[in-house]
Amino acid sequence: MWWKRTSDSRYPKPLAGDWFVIVTSCLMVLMLLNSLWSHQPANRLEVRQGDQIVGVYDLNQVRSLSFRGPLGISEVVIQQGKARFKHSPCSNQYCVHQGWLSKAGQLSICLPNHISLELLGAQKPYDSLNY
Amino acid sequence: MRALIIIFFGLLLAGCSREEPIYHMQSFVFGTMVDITIYGESEEDAQAISNDIIRQFQDLHNRLHSWRPSEVTALNHAYKRGKVPTRISADVADMIAEATDLSIKSKGLFNPAIGELIHHWGFQKDEFKPAKIDPKRIADLVKADPQMVDIVVENGKSYSTNPTVQLDLGGYAKGYALDQALLILRRQGVRNALVNIGGNIIALGQHGTQPWRVGIQHPRKPDAIATLDLPSGWAIGTSGDYQRYFELKGTRYCHIINPATGYPVQGVQSVTVLISPQPNAGVLSDVTSKPIFISQPDARAAMAKQMEVKDYLVIESDTKILASASMTKRLNWLDKQAEKHVVETH
Repeated sequence: MWWKRTSDSRYPKPLAGDWFVIVTSCLMVLMLLNSLWSHQPANRLEVRQGDQIVGVYDLNQVRSLSFRGPLGISEVVIQQGKARFKHSPCSNQYCVHQGWLSKAGQLSICLPNHISLELLGAQKPYDSLNY
Repeated sequence: MRALIIIFFGLLLAGCSREEPIYHMQSFVFGTMVDITIYGESEEDAQAISNDIIRQFQDLHNRLHSWRPSEVTALNHAYKRGKVPTRISADVADMIAEATDLSIKSKGLFNPAIGELIHHWGFQKDEFKPAKIDPKRIADLVKADPQMVDIVVENGKSYSTNPTVQLDLGGYAKGYALDQALLILRRQGVRNALVNIGGNIIALGQHGTQPWRVGIQHPRKPDAIATLDLPSGWAIGTSGDYQRYFELKGTRYCHIINPATGYPVQGVQSVTVLISPQPNAGVLSDVTSKPIFISQPDARAAMAKQMEVKDYLVIESDTKILASASMTKRLNWLDKQAEKHVVETH
C-alpha cells in the first residue's frame, strides 16, 4: 500500500502526502513573497521637522497628528496602512495634493513648513528618490 | 543532512539580525530638502562629516541666493547700472564661466541670465501665486535678450554689457553643491555615500555589496515610476513641472521658462538625465535636463546629443514616454502601465 513506509532507513523517504505538503508550502511562501514584497508594504511613518526626526508612528492605526514648523501647524493623518498631509499652512498645498502615501519609500514634503513624511517598511525599493 | 538543515537556518537567522552601518541625515537647505546617506563609517564620524557638508551648503546658498541679499544680487545690482566693474569672488567667476560654456552649448536654452523673466513669473519666491501675466512686458524682456556672454569678468571684477542681465543660478547651484559634497566626502576618506539635494543625487561607492539604488519620481503620483542603480561617481537630475508651479484657469505654469518665448514650458512633465563620473557630474546633472525639457518634442533627442547626454528619460504624459536606448537598459519600471508606453530613441 502506497501510504505505508517501505524503507527502514534512518531518514524515512517522504511519501506522496509529504511531498504534497512540501510543495504547497513552498508555493504559498512564493505567493506571499510575491504579493507582500512586490507591493513594498509600509509599516511605519517617519516624520521629520527640519533636520530632526520628531516621531515614528505605527501605520496600523487611525490617528491625527500635529507638527509645528516655521509657518505653523501641519496636520497629518494615519489611516490603517497609509498616511498623508491633511492641512498645512503653506500657500501652494503641494504636500496636501500629494495625497495618500501607502508604500515604503514614499515621501511627502511640506518644504515651506520644513516637515517631511516618509513611509518605512521592511524593504525600501530604493535608497533615495530623484525628483 | 541534519548539519545542512542547521546551517540553513543559521544563515537565515544571521540575515535577520545584521545591522547596517548606515547613517542618514536630512536637512532643509537651498530652499529644499537635503539627504545625506553615509555607509560604513561610525555614527560619530558620519554625523561630523554630514554637518560639515550641510554647513558648506548653507554657505553656498547664502552666497548664491537669487533674491535675498547675496553675492549674486550684488552682481545683479551692478549689471543693471551698466559697465561699472564690481568685485567678484574667484569661485563665482568660475561658475559664471562654466554656466556660460553650457549656455552656449545648449544654444541658449539653458540661460541663467534671465533672472528678470523668472522674477516676472513669480518664481523668485519660496511659494508661488498665479502671476499677473503681462504679455507686453514678457515680449520686452525677451527682446532685450540677456545672455551669459554679456557678462565680462576680468581682474577679479565683473560687469555686463547688457543691463537687462540678471543672474539666477537656480538651475546650476544645486549641481555645483553636489560636486563640492563629493570633494568633501573624498577628502574625508569616505568611500560610500549618497547625497541628494532637492532630488538631484550623486553617488560615491556602493550600499554595502550592492550599488546605490535611486527611485525616479512619477510626475503625477506620489510613487516612484522606475528605479535604477547609480554607480559610483554617477549623478542623476530631473527637471519637472510638478515641484515649482502655479495653476491659472486650468493651465499649469511651471518654473522652467523658455528664454526664446519668455513663457513657461508646457507639454512635458519631466526630463531625467544620468551623468557619468567627471569632475562636474553634479553640475551637468542639474543643467543638462533643462535644455532637453525646453526643446520641442522632436528636437529633444538632438539636444541630448548636443549636451553629450547618453542616458535620458522624457515623460510627456502617462502615455507618452521617450527613453534613450542606453537609459532603457538601466531602468527597472515599477509602473507597468507606463512601461508599455515607452518609445526608445537612438
